[in-house]
Amino acid sequence: MEIIEENQGGINIYKLNGRLDSNTSQGFEKKIFQAIDDGSKSMIIDFKNLDYISSAGLRVILKATKALKREDGKIMLCDMQDYVKEVFEIAGFDSFLPIVVSMDEALNAF
Amino acid sequence: MAKRKVSFKLKSNLSELDALCQNLEKFGQSMGLSKKCVFETNLALDELFTNIISYGFDDKNEHTISITIALQNDDLVVHIEDDGIPFNPTNAETPDLECSIEECRIGGLGIHLAKNLMDEVCYQRCKDKNILTLKKNIKETEPQKKQAKS
Repeated sequence: MEIIEENQGGINIYKLNGRLDSNTSQGFEKKIFQAIDDGSKSMIIDFKNLDYISSAGLRVILKATKALKREDGKIMLCDMQDYVKEVFEIAGFDSFLPIVVSMDEALNAF
Repeated sequence: MAKRKVSFKLKSNLSELDALCQNLEKFGQSMGLSKKCVFETNLALDELFTNIISYGFDDKNEHTISITIALQNDDLVVHIEDDGIPFNPTNAETPDLECSIEECRIGGLGIHLAKNLMDEVCYQRCKDKNILTLKKNIKETEPQKKQAKS
């Protein structure tokens, strides 16, 4: 999986490309938690080019959301493909994770 | 005509998830399965395979996990066989899906996904092997055909 990092007005943006599974989730977790340790409180995860997510990927997203909440920070998830969104729905995560349709909508939430 | 059955062996290592995905995608393509069907089957297999690797073996030795994927009429039928300790994932507790973010626990989620994405997940213990059989009706995941113009 490729992760493209950007920063827009103090918001850390992670664009995921490929597959977020037990193989790749550790690397992503490390990146996110490094940023949180460095004081980042605003994050957007762009799912546009993510083709696949497993429970290992959901685990990282949940962990990051909880960590940011404790720091009074905020995370937004945007632009999911239908199959990926379905995984969040089956897991019941769509009820408490901020999932929005577009990057614009995610940026406007801050 | 393309073969309606494929068998392969994976080592007890998470890096084999890529081989699992490639084998399944290749089979899906040759059978003309929908992208959604391949995605959902891939996820179910991924979760059960990861579970076997994480909890199935009480030694450090390398084990082999055998997988067979077949198309039987409108059913995609997958067998996963391992020589690990007896473990029936279908008995796993369903996570509480109504919980808030603070209470949310991730345990059992993989199995929950697998059960939801497949029509059937059955477990058997046979001759010191764990055998999982998964079934999925391929017609249900196909996009609705466009109606013919009148």
